[in-house]
Amino acid sequence: MISTKNIRFSYNKEQEFIFPDLYCEAGSTLLITGDSGKGKTTYLHILAGLLSPTSGEINIAATDIVSLSEKRTDRFRGKNIGVVFQKSYFIAALTVLENLEMASWLATGKKHTKRAKKLLAQLDIDNQASKLPSQLSIGQQQRVSIARALINEPKVLLADEPTSSLDDKNAEKVMELLTSLSKEYKAALLIVTHDSRIKEKFINKITLV
Amino acid sequence: MITKLAWKNIWFKPLNTVLSVFLLTSSVAIITTLILVEKQFEEKFSSNIENVDLVLGAQGSPLQLILSSVYQVDTPPGNISYDSAKVWMNHPFVEKAIPLAFGDNYRGYKILGTTTDYLAKYNAKVIDGVLFEKNFEVVVGSEIAKKLNLQVGEEFFGSHGDAEEGEVHENYAYKVVGIASKTGKVVDNLIICTIPTVWQMHHQHKEKPPHGEEGHVHEPDEHEHVEADLTIDEPNMEITAVLLKIRNQMAKLTWQRVIPQNTKMQAVSPAFEVNRLFGLFGIGVTALQYLAYGIMMISGISIFIALYTTLKERESEFALLRVNGARRFQLLKIVMMESLLLCVVGFVFGSILGRVALSMLSNASEADFKMSFDPYTFLWQKEGVLLVVTLLVGCIAALIPAIKAYNLNISKTLANA
Repeated sequence: MISTKNIRFSYNKEQEFIFPDLYCEAGSTLLITGDSGKGKTTYLHILAGLLSPTSGEINIAATDIVSLSEKRTDRFRGKNIGVVFQKSYFIAALTVLENLEMASWLATGKKHTKRAKKLLAQLDIDNQASKLPSQLSIGQQQRVSIARALINEPKVLLADEPTSSLDDKNAEKVMELLTSLSKEYKAALLIVTHDSRIKEKFINKITLV
Repeated sequence: MITKLAWKNIWFKPLNTVLSVFLLTSSVAIITTLILVEKQFEEKFSSNIENVDLVLGAQGSPLQLILSSVYQVDTPPGNISYDSAKVWMNHPFVEKAIPLAFGDNYRGYKILGTTTDYLAKYNAKVIDGVLFEKNFEVVVGSEIAKKLNLQVGEEFFGSHGDAEEGEVHENYAYKVVGIASKTGKVVDNLIICTIPTVWQMHHQHKEKPPHGEEGHVHEPDEHEHVEADLTIDEPNMEITAVLLKIRNQMAKLTWQRVIPQNTKMQAVSPAFEVNRLFGLFGIGVTALQYLAYGIMMISGISIFIALYTTLKERESEFALLRVNGARRFQLLKIVMMESLLLCVVGFVFGSILGRVALSMLSNASEADFKMSFDPYTFLWQKEGVLLVVTLLVGCIAALIPAIKAYNLNISKTLANA
């Protein structure tokens, strides 16, 4: 589960973001929506510990990540937070399976090959395991990103516009996978999006204004 | 895992990698070859002049005299009268005098008339057979015995002079009575016999027109009898040079002046001439070394450019690693590792290539100068320094890209992509 309190953030003196508090239970889904420039991605980066807020608290599994040192934040993020981005990033020189193994090694020091293979099978891309990420279609790449985000069985799964570059069919598939897998792995799923195809399907919503 | 990732990364852009490795390999190869050649060359030259303080020979180029009489690589400047040489050989200042008379060759290997002291000077023992005693008995150097597969008891005819194609002397056959042990010095590539052997071999030549070749021993005496074996006490004979070990320190210096002033001979210090030769040789070595280090610098720049230009496109990759829990320091490590791996690969290839080049060089110099180099020796100290220098180049080349990776702003990188 994840909860925040009084998060404020500013890039410069003129503009300050004041983000609404949020709360999301393990296994449930929360949508964060809002127009461009309202700080959706910024909020997500703060939640992921990639940016430090000027004030406030973020509690993930009873740890306030704002108070952690940078080194500890990196560690905590690797273990407890999975992130799916709008565009899929990979280590281009490694195969799909190696990408997953690298993610698990960085966080835990172990490769967890079995878990990686199981995830790829659940996402129906186990036959692509030994290919380079660049050889996959965009839909497949996004599924690999989901697998990578879940490899360390995180407490929180953050998704930044996971469907915006996908067609309807793929978008639906990806959303279905995200929700079902986050339930299975007991992760709180936070989705940042302005995709109207998704908005209608969820009840839990926060809109940034 | 970090090393593995770095390894995969460098081969993901093979063109950049190949260029960097190629440059590193060439510079390391050149330096390795130079280090090995210089060391072994100096060793060979120095070990051969042990216990030789002065060389007595015909007047002419001192370096030529040293090269011919000590290293057997040049033709001698001329002959000297054995009778007048004996005056100096028997001088009380002289501890040991080894006379040398150049004779013929057998398949390009020199047949040298001398005394058994010559073998003793190089610590060469007869491992098979006995020492030569009578005329036309020869002891064969270990290299020759191996290459020509000569065995004790075999007989062969020599060719005149030092050219393999020279006229074959069929009057007398040489008989192998002993094989010398391996010394790593010139004696390995010589066939050694008594001095009268050389005299007698050419005894009959008088009837033919004179050869007029320098350094070839002809006795001026008009003997017609060939039946009796010549001995070392034969008067009016010529030899090529004498290797002298001198007791008196002053004589080492004064004789170099006194002998050419009063006789038709010269006395030359091999140590001095060899140092002069190294001096000449050293300029070339230094120039090549600068060139090699220049290439190494270029390879460092090439690594830097490769890392720096790909850094931009790899920013998101690095950001991703951070998202997955990598620390700043681990990113720095990846970039450093990539550069260092290139350097290690370049060093290994360079060391191997340098040795391949050396063995080729060795074959060529073996054929021309009877001087071989051993490509399998390792000079840990000098090559260790080279490895450290190579790695240092890698570190410096990777420094700026690594720091950039270390300072990467993940949030900005991911938001702008």
